[in-house]
Amino acid sequence: MTRAPKNPPKTNGSNGRPHKKKKATAAELPSRFYGTPLPGVKPEELSGTLIVIEGTDGSGRSTQISLLTEWLESEGFAVQTMGLRRSYLVGEDIDGLLAENAVTRMTLSLMYSTDFFDQLERRILPALRSGLIVLADRYIFTLIARSAVRGIGRDYLHGIYETALRPDLTFWLNVRPEVAFDREFKKSQTISYWESGRDMSLSNDLFQSFIRYQSMIKREFEYLSKRHGFIETDGESSVSEVNRVLRKRIALHLGIRSTHYRPSHALSQLWR
Amino acid sequence: MGILTSEIPAAVEPVPIKEPALKRQYPGALVVVEGIDGSGKSTQLYLLKRWLEIGGYRIHFTEWNSSPLVKSATRRGKQRRLLTPTTFSLLHAADFADRCERQIMPLLHGGYLVLADRYIYTAFARDSARGCSPHWLRNLYSFAPTPDITFYFRAPLDVAVNRIVAGRPKLKYYEAGMDLGISLDRAESFRIFQERILNNYDQMIDSDHFVLMDGTVRVNKLQKLMRQIVGERISLQQFAPKKK
Repeated sequence: MTRAPKNPPKTNGSNGRPHKKKKATAAELPSRFYGTPLPGVKPEELSGTLIVIEGTDGSGRSTQISLLTEWLESEGFAVQTMGLRRSYLVGEDIDGLLAENAVTRMTLSLMYSTDFFDQLERRILPALRSGLIVLADRYIFTLIARSAVRGIGRDYLHGIYETALRPDLTFWLNVRPEVAFDREFKKSQTISYWESGRDMSLSNDLFQSFIRYQSMIKREFEYLSKRHGFIETDGESSVSEVNRVLRKRIALHLGIRSTHYRPSHALSQLWR
Repeated sequence: MGILTSEIPAAVEPVPIKEPALKRQYPGALVVVEGIDGSGKSTQLYLLKRWLEIGGYRIHFTEWNSSPLVKSATRRGKQRRLLTPTTFSLLHAADFADRCERQIMPLLHGGYLVLADRYIYTAFARDSARGCSPHWLRNLYSFAPTPDITFYFRAPLDVAVNRIVAGRPKLKYYEAGMDLGISLDRAESFRIFQERILNNYDQMIDSDHFVLMDGTVRVNKLQKLMRQIVGERISLQQFAPKKK
């Protein structure tokens, strides 16, 4: 299933200057931030836990987040969630830009950064200060991957997000593009303009465009996974199996002894 | 691996978004003015623009913070005072990126002389006065083309601040740097904020090759000097109206 690790696809730093390569992994660098923390944030105040679920559309992220929220709440943990385009500041503006298809890559990338940091500073950090568990439905990695496949330098992107908080756990629900296509098509009977990378003129055929685009994203994730120490999870297993794997790892992190869980009636239709 | 994913070549080879700063990849030219509020920069750029317009040159004038893209977000953020140093900075960067990708770059490639009232140095000076890391800011704007000339209009703090305060009934919250919590008095806060920005500008004079302009010199005399410098550093002939 997983491809042998490869060198990152070639892009240059956006500013043309050589960048110092940071080799340290999450394990070697226990700091809660990648680089300089955000202005005004004291890392020692953040007693909560940040858990990130990454993966393309159709990888089952939202389903897992619903189930994990219920499980954690039943274990007595308070949960806060975050996701893309959910900020008060620019969430709706991005929706508008996407609908118009008139936005250029750099602008869109920076609007997403604004959306991310608004949520981080106004929602996530306060939650972590209060000791909550934050479940993030995607994080900086999707934003970096999407911009990188559009030719924006990886070092540039990592530079922007170096003031972001490093997650305690990052799960990557890895699915093959064809599987993601099947699932997405089943769900909405169509494939979205942006999820198939149609702004990149990859193919006039929507299926081909989707597969090529998602393959490029997947390659970026393989690189990011190595760089940031993702916990790679087979997103093609059943919902209950993926959930069991996630629960086990999270329970270990939080010190929860029993990981037994059955979804409530309200969520039972998700349990496949 | 599925049969489809394994053999698909990258259809679009990712391209770097900016060439090395010193090698120009376009026939156009970029002239920018920088300086704190009240330093006289906008008046001088306006006069330069009029001179070139009247001469029939191919020029385009662009201003900082003018794109409709982030207007609603900026308004929302400012009204409710939701902006942090980071989101304030990123919103302006998104706004600049929009102008850069849709106006400045195409015009430079199309052989225009682009005049910019404030440029990335405004963000460096102002956002670092708000607490953003200078290193982070430099990276954030590294996609911007380097100007051919950067005029830095410098006036003593008192002169500049008095020009602004005299002409404005009320200083706005973010304009006065009230979000920094320096002082509860707006005029006082504005003054201290501007002083920090001025100091940040001063530190870039050498590293960013600013052309220092004395904002206290008489307007027409200063304009004469500005036109002379533009004439020396840029071959204006290439922007002149084509003779039939």
